[in-house]
Amino acid sequence: MLSLSSSLRNRGRIMKILTLIAVTALHAISYPALAETDFNTHPRFDIDPKLGVAGDFSGTYKYWKDTQAIEQFASIQTNSDNEWKMNGKNMDIVEDDFHPGHLAVDEGEKLVNLWEHREAGFKSCLGAGTTTLEGIAANYPMYDAKLGKVLTLEARIEHCAKKVLWQNFKQGSPVNASIALYLKSLSDGLPIQIDVDSGPMKEAYLRGETLFYKRIGQLNFACASCHTPGSIMGNRLRGEVPSTPFGDVSHYPTYRSPVGEVEVLHKRFMRCLKQMRAKPLKPGDPAYVDLEVFYTSMSNGYPIKAPSIR
Amino acid sequence: MKKILLAALMATLSACGTVQQPVNTNSASTSPMKFPCLSYSLSCGEIPVRKPVKKPLSGELSGNSEEGRNIAFTKTRGNCLACHRMKGGTQPGSRGPDLTSYGNLGRSDAETFALVYDMRWRSPDTLMPPMGTNEILTEQEIRDVVAFLQSSK
Repeated sequence: MLSLSSSLRNRGRIMKILTLIAVTALHAISYPALAETDFNTHPRFDIDPKLGVAGDFSGTYKYWKDTQAIEQFASIQTNSDNEWKMNGKNMDIVEDDFHPGHLAVDEGEKLVNLWEHREAGFKSCLGAGTTTLEGIAANYPMYDAKLGKVLTLEARIEHCAKKVLWQNFKQGSPVNASIALYLKSLSDGLPIQIDVDSGPMKEAYLRGETLFYKRIGQLNFACASCHTPGSIMGNRLRGEVPSTPFGDVSHYPTYRSPVGEVEVLHKRFMRCLKQMRAKPLKPGDPAYVDLEVFYTSMSNGYPIKAPSIR
Repeated sequence: MKKILLAALMATLSACGTVQQPVNTNSASTSPMKFPCLSYSLSCGEIPVRKPVKKPLSGELSGNSEEGRNIAFTKTRGNCLACHRMKGGTQPGSRGPDLTSYGNLGRSDAETFALVYDMRWRSPDTLMPPMGTNEILTEQEIRDVVAFLQSSK
């Protein structure tokens, strides 16, 4: 009798404990989203930097991966819902020798030669030791061990102007943009190749990746809010349809016909930030450099198109 | 002198008592420096995203649907059209749910108000900007937008 009541009491106690465990578990299951949500970041996507442009997550790579594909699929851009799938690359195969981007290339060439004539050493500074400027643009941004920092092409131009010419060719200025576009044109058709496997470039890549997902501005958007699968990408944002970030940098600096000027990548970032109602940073800002490294790795393997028009 | 100070103090106090909409009467002019940014050196780089707010609707809705429509369609204000189809709106976006006949859904003013104010308390990963929490719209402007939504049938 005694043992029975004690075992009953025990059973009751066990039931209580079991209920408690169950309730606790239920709570843990019901509210994982709230507990785990980091309101400061957009959900991340796994991007393998080793894949370069072929790692495109939008499913549109097949439409714009090379000239043949672009020609084959160019017709889908007549449908405004499909236009974004061309990633703007259909603009690159139109023979247009007259847009002002070409004038900027000529202007950049004139400037480089003029300044080289005045101060020998400008070219070899731009080439980081070599005066052969063909092909160098495909490897930017790069880590410069002598300067101890990651340089974009525009930062190299600014640095060399200051060091060799005693001139201020500020990043984002027309002079800097023209020279950058000229140097890019000397790499036209070459695949972008930057190495983000190790060292300072990998660190810059990782910081840039973090910035890509950081929610910013009054509208609480991240870059990822418009440029990852499941986001606004591929959907209409009033008149526009945001496209994939893969393969994007290959045509920068680009002549922007709606703006009427050559736009460098950092100016494009500024335009995005203004639309997000976030504080726009100046061209050359360290955050933009990191973002450019991350962004450029998503174009690894894709040929440069310069000059280009958008 | 004392009298003047006292009068000023009284005026301030009474103003506090009567003003129902504190600050933010012109939502379009809010400084971007008040919100997170990408910078490593500016103060905005350190600002965290504002926490989700589930804002209760106090009193009657008393929104103006005409004004709400105007707010929803204007790019520098609500710009709801950027992502949603809305009644009478041209060039709408396609990412958000179609709101052209929202008024038929039977959702309450309070729920609608709270969701426009800040969607994140219900959907933490939403793309929708927290209109109230981030001062994109004032509380009255959100009431107007809710009135417009409820009148969309």
